[in-house]
Amino acid sequence: MKDLKYKIGFLLLILAVFAPISLWAQNGSDEVSLVSNSLMKFWNNTSFANFNFKYLIMIFIGIIFIYLGIAKNWEPLLLVPIGFGILVGNVPFTEGYKIGIYETGSVMNILYSGVISGWYPPLIFLGIGSMTDFSTLIANPKLMLLGAAAQLGIFATFIGAYALGFTPEQCGAIGIIGGADGPTAIFLSSRLAPELMGAIAVAAYSYMALVPVIQPPIMKLLTTNKERVIRMKPPRQVTKFEKIAFPVIGLLLTTFISPSAMPLLGMLFFGNLLKESGVTERLAETARFALINTITILLGLTVGASTQADKFLTLNSMLIFGLGAASFVVASGVGVLFAKLMNLFLKEGNKINPLIGSAGVSAVPDAARVSQEVGLHYDKTNHLLMHAMAPNVAGVIGSAVAAGILLSMLS
Amino acid sequence: MILLKINTWSELLVGAAIGILVVFAALTILVLMFEMVQAILLSSTKRRLLKSGKKKEEIVDVAAYEIVAISMALHLYMNDTHDQESNVMTIKRIERRYSPWSSKIYGLNNTIRK
Repeated sequence: MKDLKYKIGFLLLILAVFAPISLWAQNGSDEVSLVSNSLMKFWNNTSFANFNFKYLIMIFIGIIFIYLGIAKNWEPLLLVPIGFGILVGNVPFTEGYKIGIYETGSVMNILYSGVISGWYPPLIFLGIGSMTDFSTLIANPKLMLLGAAAQLGIFATFIGAYALGFTPEQCGAIGIIGGADGPTAIFLSSRLAPELMGAIAVAAYSYMALVPVIQPPIMKLLTTNKERVIRMKPPRQVTKFEKIAFPVIGLLLTTFISPSAMPLLGMLFFGNLLKESGVTERLAETARFALINTITILLGLTVGASTQADKFLTLNSMLIFGLGAASFVVASGVGVLFAKLMNLFLKEGNKINPLIGSAGVSAVPDAARVSQEVGLHYDKTNHLLMHAMAPNVAGVIGSAVAAGILLSMLS
Repeated sequence: MILLKINTWSELLVGAAIGILVVFAALTILVLMFEMVQAILLSSTKRRLLKSGKKKEEIVDVAAYEIVAISMALHLYMNDTHDQESNVMTIKRIERRYSPWSSKIYGLNNTIRK
């Protein structure tokens, strides 16, 4: 009650101050019009004056991203920065004050330069390389083919996008969503179709977060009960020499075939060499923690902020989201089917559980985790994670090679 | 460097086919390379072991999960041993000299004692 008295008193005080000012302003002397003009100018610069319902839709999407990241724990390291970035990018403002991400010289624009000129993705790849253990891939190299098969999604979407009327360059940038690799998608779209980068990046990261929802039905649809319980031979022990030789041989072979993928693959394999050499632990530690975390923050926030409603909410963005979903489905399905095809040629005891085929899309390590969970659902003692990591990391290499090919074909 | 100028549907399909073929080629070469490295390494290790006097039937490949199980068992065993060993307690007496620093006696809000 006492508080209410103070609140009423405060309101009356505000009225007592502002009522005479507004009355004075209406009388129209020079000083008064100066005050009213300033107030009007201030009002025009607020987000309320620049408001449009498009911004509200985007703010709502941003909140959903944050919610999914925090409450559902779906790729929180990506969805939380992107979601918050969407909020930052969709605060309406008056142009010309170097505020917006698309205004040259603004702080957000400077941070966004890493996305535009494409140097954030290779640094992310450096971190990924220094975190990734290629042992299972080295122990069972044939699983690498599953990573190649899942890239069919990229080229299927490339064709689909052309059918919907996009230019060949835009088709290449959209197709790479099927690689399920955010940094690669940003890298390629920054070169081929910068105007679509916001939509492509958000679609790629959204579908990566939705891997646990999208993949299981496809995996179940394309496999039989008998296939889902196939036990795979445990991988052999890999020597240190093989682990050190892998990044060197891998880099030389893949980049000699597709030199345009060098910024991504070079950093990926360099990061892995730092990890496996055993003598550069400090550098590997920096790459896998400080560096990748810093770049993820900047990348997530600026990609989110690039979804400014007036530039993002277009028919093209909706089509990109649709094509992205289709490419994910195709990539996951082809991975599973290719594993089944390989089984036709493999001896009993060496067979592959087709559930790991979907891990060929490179959403590391979520796609491998999905294979493990679906596998455990049918046999509580059949752990597929270790085996699924092989196509999963091969998918990273495969999508980078595919990006290189598209880049050299279209740019 | 443009490999292929895409203006028509047929050019696009050729482009997509080339793309997927190159991805497969790159990874297949990597597979073959590592199958080869694996074969060379295994045969050289076997040869070395045979030279050192081991019999052919004694050389068996130990699966990674068995090595992990052995390492874990050893780790647990070592930890247990350590726990049994360190059962001596030492009580160290620390003398603290009196200091008026932050003593409550010198506080400003001493209440009057009646």
